[in-house]
Amino acid sequence: MSQFNSGFTLFLSLIVEAIPFLLLGVLVSSVLLLFVDEQRLIALMPKNPFLGALAGSLLGFLFPVCECGNVPVARRLLMQGVSVPVAIGFLLAAPTINPVVVWATWTAFRDQPEIVVLRVVFSLIISTTVACIFSIQKDMRPFLQPALSRWMPDVMVQPSLSDTPALLQTGTFLLGQPGQPIAFDAVAAAAVNRPRPKPNIPWKDRLPLLLENMVQELRELGGILVLGSLLAAIIQVAVPREWVLSIGQGPVTSVVAMLILGGVISICSTVDSFFALSFATTFTSGAILAFLVFGPIFDLKSLGLLLTIFRPRAMIYLVVLIVQLTLILTLSMNLHIS
Amino acid sequence: MNSTSSIPRLRWSKLSEWMHTFALGLWGALFLYYWRSGKLGLLIHPNYFGLSIGAGFVLLAISSFNIIRMAKQQRQTDAREQHQTLLPPLFMSGILLFAAVVGFLIAPKPFVSDTAIQRGLQDSAIVTRVRPQSFRVNRSSESRSLIDWIRTLDVYPEPDAYAGQKVSVDGFVVYTKNLPQGYLTLTRFVITCCAADVYPVGMPVKFTQPKSEVPADGWFKVQGKMITETLNGKRQAVIQANVIEPIPEPKNPYAY
Repeated sequence: MSQFNSGFTLFLSLIVEAIPFLLLGVLVSSVLLLFVDEQRLIALMPKNPFLGALAGSLLGFLFPVCECGNVPVARRLLMQGVSVPVAIGFLLAAPTINPVVVWATWTAFRDQPEIVVLRVVFSLIISTTVACIFSIQKDMRPFLQPALSRWMPDVMVQPSLSDTPALLQTGTFLLGQPGQPIAFDAVAAAAVNRPRPKPNIPWKDRLPLLLENMVQELRELGGILVLGSLLAAIIQVAVPREWVLSIGQGPVTSVVAMLILGGVISICSTVDSFFALSFATTFTSGAILAFLVFGPIFDLKSLGLLLTIFRPRAMIYLVVLIVQLTLILTLSMNLHIS
Repeated sequence: MNSTSSIPRLRWSKLSEWMHTFALGLWGALFLYYWRSGKLGLLIHPNYFGLSIGAGFVLLAISSFNIIRMAKQQRQTDAREQHQTLLPPLFMSGILLFAAVVGFLIAPKPFVSDTAIQRGLQDSAIVTRVRPQSFRVNRSSESRSLIDWIRTLDVYPEPDAYAGQKVSVDGFVVYTKNLPQGYLTLTRFVITCCAADVYPVGMPVKFTQPKSEVPADGWFKVQGKMITETLNGKRQAVIQANVIEPIPEPKNPYAY
């Protein structure tokens, strides 16, 4: 009975502490969805791949979204013609490098400020590295889902076409102009992607939309939070301490275990630090960091969302790269720093 | 074909929307109930009371506004793009609602000695997590709380330096396997953020009373003096108890 009681108290405390941050995250992401003009931001992004990757990774500070919100935003950014390193940097870093998540992590790990700092630093290193690697691939279309690449603007399509004479190209073309036929895809894409100002919705109508979006996100994320807190509470009270300690104290096993847990649990990045906190006494710091860094980038929930952007092959490259980088960084922390 | 199958689906999504709007309101009410009944202190550090109370009000507001919105739009068929979800919305709404109802029915209780042992009361390494936040040497030894003593010992662990000093501390009783008969561990939980991160700290107490007068999990004030003993092959400071008197369980059982 005492185990049930302490498990239940644990469960409630996780929720009571996490929901304010979840609310804040949902509020900010809904406000941005309705009130911020992405086109202007895209125009400001640097062209250099490394700087682009870095800028994309830091974009999260302007779009505080967790991993559930960043995929739709990254999709929109790609369709509006942002360069690949910027989009991938944003996709990987935005769930971690944003004010709400940093504040929540600080709240949870006030005792161990190094966790807060390293979470941001590691996420930045991983997202920038992966984005730079992907920027070597100039034409991203083979990597992306056809539904998305069709709508990508012609800036990215051009290089593959320009080498071949117009007559040998395949596709749909508009004739009639003297000289060059015009590829129809590019025209259609350009038409679709012409910078559009945000539809001017009156304030009176924006507020109900804001409310509706918040309620939708709260249902999904709140439900996951409840399930995640339940799982954390059960692991804490039901799994024998010797097991947890024997896994959690090994520098390698602890990291691998938390990496897997981070991939499975699908808890939102604004509240995952509270979840990780319940493991802080039994697991190595590297393992806690592995959870906090890897979980937001990739988990079961975001798998489906990411597959709306990438084809499976690209997805595998992406995940393998991220897992390797997370392992290297957190293991080196376990073996050399602590 | 399509129209017949879409009507029940629409109904289900209506039901799910009402359910989770109600669930959000219930969660808001639960937060405020914990605050008013003093249970919030069992769950989180007082620094974050404001956040949770604020969240309670916001949840109630969101829920009420959404009820008004849904009532207005009742007849309008909703064909808006749905969010991408991992689990079906109705399931999510059900979970939120169920958890809130359970929260009202079962009151959270403070942790007891099982949890203290589970969380590593016997591991000496745990003490290093306590970072001294205030350290005053001039304080008289009797006014130190249990946490003050542990922080002091953490900074300067030589037990002989404290021998003979008077002690008066509160805490609850835990009997661990690694201490012999006639010893108990007077324990407090320390909280930094929420109950998920509480960890126990305790000091061994040597007592002469019959064990039945000092039951596990009971709250006691222990008065006595510091002595040095070797327990489990480790020289350490131990409280030699003169008086052990029961005290009521404090409303907020955590130390900070």
